Amino acid sequence: MANNNPASSRRGALAPLSTPRVAITPNRRGVSGEPASGHPSASARRNNVATTPHARAAIRAMDQRRAALFTPGRARRRSLREQRETPRDLLRNLSRVLAPTSKIVSSSSSPDYSARDNDSLPPFAEEGEGDDDDDFPIERPRFSLPLGPEEDDDDDLKPPRLSGFEEDNYTMQSIELPRRAVTDNLIRSSLGSIRYSDYMGPDIQSDDNGIDSGFFPPPALDDTAEMMMEEPAMIERLDADEARRQTIGGDSVFGAIEIPDVGNESTFVMAPVQSPVRDPTATEGFEGLGGDSGPFDDIDDDDDDDDDVNEPMEMPDFGMEDEANDETDDAAVNNISTIEETTLLRTASLTRNRGTKRKKGKKISRYGIEYPSLPANVVKRLATTFAKTAGSKGKISPDTLDAIMQATDWFFEQLGDDLSAYAKHAGRKTIDESDMITLMRRQRQTNASTTPFALAQRHLPRELLQELRMPVPVPSKPPRKKSRHADAEGEEEEEVT
Amino acid sequence: MAPGQKMYPRATVKKIVKAHSKCNVSKNVDVMIFLDYVLFMQTLVKEATIDSKQAGERNISAKSIRKVTPDTLAKFKG
Repeated sequence: MANNNPASSRRGALAPLSTPRVAITPNRRGVSGEPASGHPSASARRNNVATTPHARAAIRAMDQRRAALFTPGRARRRSLREQRETPRDLLRNLSRVLAPTSKIVSSSSSPDYSARDNDSLPPFAEEGEGDDDDDFPIERPRFSLPLGPEEDDDDDLKPPRLSGFEEDNYTMQSIELPRRAVTDNLIRSSLGSIRYSDYMGPDIQSDDNGIDSGFFPPPALDDTAEMMMEEPAMIERLDADEARRQTIGGDSVFGAIEIPDVGNESTFVMAPVQSPVRDPTATEGFEGLGGDSGPFDDIDDDDDDDDDVNEPMEMPDFGMEDEANDETDDAAVNNISTIEETTLLRTASLTRNRGTKRKKGKKISRYGIEYPSLPANVVKRLATTFAKTAGSKGKISPDTLDAIMQATDWFFEQLGDDLSAYAKHAGRKTIDESDMITLMRRQRQTNASTTPFALAQRHLPRELLQELRMPVPVPSKPPRKKSRHADAEGEEEEEVT
Repeated sequence: MAPGQKMYPRATVKKIVKAHSKCNVSKNVDVMIFLDYVLFMQTLVKEATIDSKQAGERNISAKSIRKVTPDTLAKFKG
């Protein structure tokens, strides 16, 4: 079966199928005869088995797929056609056309090339047919001729071109150069020879059959004696190369310097060490406050602030103290009623407080305007509530409160700067609500889904909310109100997490 | 917050901002300013709580507040 099947399958079963196979058959002759012959045998067996037309159709489809898979010959042909479209092939075709008429040109090419052509035929022989071999000797002089005269005539003109190549290479290989720089003085000539072997090597093999063949291969082959013999041709290049090498030596010096740069990179590891430097700056600010009032003073500061501030605030003390911690209660009681729980330290701190509180209560902004700091009871109440919501116990130690007060001062300073910048940018001398809205938007506190009113409704009491709502019926605000409730719900959900 | 108690001294806030900005502060901006401050405090305390919990402390420590303050201020930089 197997012996008979290939022929029968090609003729009988598969001939009706495949116009593709008709096209493929020439390929089979050349390249893929064996796999193609193997498969139809299997398909023929199946054809014997398959009786229904449906099965035949299925087998045909299988065979067509296999034909598509196992016909590399087609792809090769296409690739050959594409290659023939290259200008080189155009030139080859042109040479084939001109070959019979242009036999005279062979005289223009030096007789040396004939020997080389015989050498270089085998790579072309793969592609070309035997008939074209006669044509090639005419072409190849054309390939070699432009390369030959460059080396022959342009010994003076060449170094710039070489410089282009070499400079590129040196910059590219600058990392390796320090290693060579150690052996610079000894191996310069050999390095030059290596470079010629690198870049001139292909030229030497192909082109040096001409006059230059005497010049270049010896340096490539490390024959220094021949180097010495042929100096007049080589000296110029070597000089140019040496000059560049010196420059390169400088580069190599820099490369050697770059190694300590690696050490500098290790100092980049130090960069995170610098970030703690910021913390001391922050703590210095706190320490500045700490100098004003000791850790024990904080309680007393609360008390004093309570005393001072609460008077304009219409007796918020009691309400606040209800919520606030026992410490503040005690301290407030101490201040107000001067009960004797005060230790010596506290009394001492109280006396200090009276002195320092004036300093601390009135600060001077950078514009030279005195300003009070926000009352500590307000700050503490806020901090306590937020600490409770944040999950901690809600106790704010005086030290912590001091830090928070400092943060508060900084916050208001920053906020004042920002708001004044916005107002001045808008050409106003009055900070407006639009400035504040802009600021909150820039702070990412309000966005498309979070309105300032939603935040205010969540965080501010109703009186303040009314204050906020009443005066400004700006058209920009009602639409915000509409989406307020849904947003507020969503935000509350977010905040719980 | 107890009823009848003011949440914050409005005049103080106005004075503070006026001193820092050297600008006049319009009538009801201080409410918004205080709202912003409330948000700032919320963020600050929340961050400090996280930080102190990571440090294994039960309450918010001044150290954690100081550590968190620069970042929070940067967050609220307009």
